[in-house]
Amino acid sequence: MGEASAIALSGDAPDATRAERRPDTPAEAFRRTATLLSIWHVIGAAASVVGMLLASRGGDQELPWMPRYALQGFFVFAFAVNLAAAYGIRTTARWARPASLVVNYLLAVVAGSTTLHQFNAFRALGDLGEGLFKAFVPFLVICVGLIAVLVAGQLAADDPTAPVPRTLRRIGLGIAAVAGVWFVILADPTGMISSIGDTLTKPLAFGALAITIGAALACRAMWSRDAARHFGTTRATEDTLSGLAFLSPNLIGFLVFFAFPLLFSLWVSFFDWKTTNTGREFIGLDNYVRALSLDISGADAAGAGNEVLKPGYQVLMHMDWFGQNWVLGARDIEFWLSLRNIVVFLVLAVPLAVLPALGLSSILASKLPGMKVFRAIYFIPSVAGVIGVAIVWGQMFDATIGWINYLLDVVGVSEAGQGQAWLSERSTALLSMVIVFAWMNFGFNTVLYLAGHQGIPKELYEAAEIDGANTWQVFKRITVPQLRNTTFYVLVTTSILALQLFDIVWILSRPEPGGPNNATSTPVLTLYEEAFQNNSQGYASALAWILFLIIFGFTFFQFRQQRDESTSGGVS
Amino acid sequence: MSVKRKGPKATMVRVATYGVLVLVAIVVLFPFVVAVTTSLKDNNDIFSYPPSLVPEQASTVPAAQLGLDGDPLPTFTLPDRDGTFALVGRDVPIAEFRPLDDLERVIALDPAAGEKTGATIVIDGDEEDVFLIDVDGDTIEAYRSRLTSGGEFVNVDDPTDVAIGLVNLAVPAEEFGPRPANFTEVWTDKELGRSLSNTVLVTFAVVIGQLVTSILGGYAFARIDFKGRNGLFLMYLGSVMVPFVVLIIPLFQLMLQVGWLDNLAALIIPFIFTAYGTFLMRQFFVGIPKEIEEAALLDNASRSTILWKIMVPLARPAIATLATFGFLYAWNSFFWPLVIINSGNPEGRVLALTLSTLGGRSSTDINLVFAGAVIAMTPPILVFLFAQRYFVENSASSGLK
Repeated sequence: MGEASAIALSGDAPDATRAERRPDTPAEAFRRTATLLSIWHVIGAAASVVGMLLASRGGDQELPWMPRYALQGFFVFAFAVNLAAAYGIRTTARWARPASLVVNYLLAVVAGSTTLHQFNAFRALGDLGEGLFKAFVPFLVICVGLIAVLVAGQLAADDPTAPVPRTLRRIGLGIAAVAGVWFVILADPTGMISSIGDTLTKPLAFGALAITIGAALACRAMWSRDAARHFGTTRATEDTLSGLAFLSPNLIGFLVFFAFPLLFSLWVSFFDWKTTNTGREFIGLDNYVRALSLDISGADAAGAGNEVLKPGYQVLMHMDWFGQNWVLGARDIEFWLSLRNIVVFLVLAVPLAVLPALGLSSILASKLPGMKVFRAIYFIPSVAGVIGVAIVWGQMFDATIGWINYLLDVVGVSEAGQGQAWLSERSTALLSMVIVFAWMNFGFNTVLYLAGHQGIPKELYEAAEIDGANTWQVFKRITVPQLRNTTFYVLVTTSILALQLFDIVWILSRPEPGGPNNATSTPVLTLYEEAFQNNSQGYASALAWILFLIIFGFTFFQFRQQRDESTSGGVS
Repeated sequence: MSVKRKGPKATMVRVATYGVLVLVAIVVLFPFVVAVTTSLKDNNDIFSYPPSLVPEQASTVPAAQLGLDGDPLPTFTLPDRDGTFALVGRDVPIAEFRPLDDLERVIALDPAAGEKTGATIVIDGDEEDVFLIDVDGDTIEAYRSRLTSGGEFVNVDDPTDVAIGLVNLAVPAEEFGPRPANFTEVWTDKELGRSLSNTVLVTFAVVIGQLVTSILGGYAFARIDFKGRNGLFLMYLGSVMVPFVVLIIPLFQLMLQVGWLDNLAALIIPFIFTAYGTFLMRQFFVGIPKEIEEAALLDNASRSTILWKIMVPLARPAIATLATFGFLYAWNSFFWPLVIINSGNPEGRVLALTLSTLGGRSSTDINLVFAGAVIAMTPPILVFLFAQRYFVENSASSGLK
């Protein structure tokens, strides 16, 4: 609508047809609307005061600080902008329209969310899940019907005159409608309706609903072309309004569920912060210091323990450098153990997930028949869902009845009944997780490599063939160097994934996550335990930021490489 | 490497190539085969060694077949006897004899059977009486190694053929016996079934929400020249670099304060906004020629008309891609539900979470856990197989993980 009205503003487009149908000229008609709008803004300012009072209530009505501060801030803003907008509309100021639109839009969003909250709409989601559980079969039938409609749409797009899609569409809709009735009967929504009915007596719910409707109507009126003409909105402003309007559902979510949490996380990391509101103390960088503190000390004997370190430090590892024994200790031994584990994991798992992908992609890139089937098969583990996969692998690794030990036994590597306790022994637990990780991810990497293969000029292979190069030479001299950028990218993305290892460990290292004896603890696991079991969310946030910085190092490295490639004209 | 050669060497290379591919495919698929076969097994069968891909159950015969009343009878194979025998009695007194010419062989007889010869023999330092016993019509010398109790059996094919035997009654004969009831039990199970429906609900809501917000946002970034667009777009791009771990704690705090802990809303609302999806849609919209819209603009169509009537139908491939990614993300997500649905109340759990708790809690329902795991893995695999085209192309170009 923005560009269209901009054309109208500049007088290029004839607007006579619309004016003829109305008794008043648009300008006169809007003057009355403008009066209503300015009255509405005074009401909005009053409502903001009421909202402010409600949001600031104390006692058992007191809101938790996050929504409280957010609402208080919003209502201060809404009060000021509402008054300004009322004044601006009276004086037909150019800025009045954007101001009115912004404040009404946000008011509609806030009041709308409040309305939903008051009517228990979010809790009703649980009832919806319950209803779906009771009526799962009709739900599946509805899905079948809707899929038929989708297929019909696709067919109709291919050939609009064919009669089959129309019939299919009708059948699909019919099935969906019948199943819909069946669904409602089985799902029994009376509970949900009654829980909404309980709130009918709440005046706040209706007040919020009224504000929502009012603000939405005001937005609509202000959005019109007549309004744009009345306030002399420029094309640039019109575009900005449209852009923000289209982006807003996304942008609000981005700000509330990404930008704010990101900053808040940094903020929390400077506090000794518990989940509960009590005991929150600013401690500056102490969380970071605690997490990163290391102490190294020379020791006479190889088996020296914590006593050679500063108090509060525990032995992380022993080293033998230049004929001298050294003891490395850390204050947060668990975090450092998990860092050590993840480094070992990275060194083992990343090559195992990347090298087979490089080799297999070279085969799959050939035009032999059946390659697409293999490509699809290799990809499956990366989409199947880590929990299901980990459960199966847990069974495979079982010490007494697992397939791995059985197969090793069959080929004669181990003796029957002498199987390796893969997951409960320190030496093999992490290795088992390396195997699962590589198994899950090599197929994805293969597909990334296949994309890289498309960028290799065919002439290179033709030239190699003329020169009589064998397959290995071609692979070594052409394929691998040409795929250098892809390899870099694949290594970085796989490493970033490996650094965040959590789910596989959570399932496979039961009953003690990270066990046996911290052999498989990972930074994310340590973070989870600190935050949600030890309840120290400030410290856990600091761990999160340390991890973020490590991951960001990889990303930055990748970004630099890509930029270098593109400035030097390479293909990335 | 589309180099084509001919001759026996080329054939060998080709066979070896396919050999490698098939071998890798087996390694990839084997755990899935294990999952499916295990999900069809009886609980006892899962814990038997050696592991087997064939679901087996204790074979039984109806009691009526042997002219008896009661439950179906488990069957066994007896040493030294052909045929299948049904267990009709337990704790029957049995004498265990060992022939003197083959001390490894065990013959189970009635304690009253056998006739003392009066002679004795020293076995492992103990003096034992020598008996004459009848075995299959032959009379042989044996000593009675112990008196014990065992089972009484009837030949399944010949009810008159009664035998006593010393076999491990815990290991009955087995036959092919899949147990599809595992799946129906999961379906109706209050815990697993409910979390399955929650997963479906959450996934649908997330996918639809992501599509709507991404289409709108992507269009704004692609086609509307508004103030601050480039800055915002950079922020969106940068946000893709931030790992989710950084957001977990503050998002948890936010959900706690809004009162959405243990609520499905916490699994849906924060995830219907996706920077990646917005970016994906924006890239696609940018690629659509502007001339297509210009005609509509001349007709005074509004931007939303243009978006929904012209751009969206053109953007089907991008929408399918985004829907696929959204589906996989929402269906498979585990860490966030683990954090946010943290009470004992199973009402808000999703499938991955329930599977992880059930799998860890006990092994009594392991067959149901496996059936649940198969149910959890099937939809994403199917979606991938059907939407492969979008999927493979896009993972390759964007590298989303």
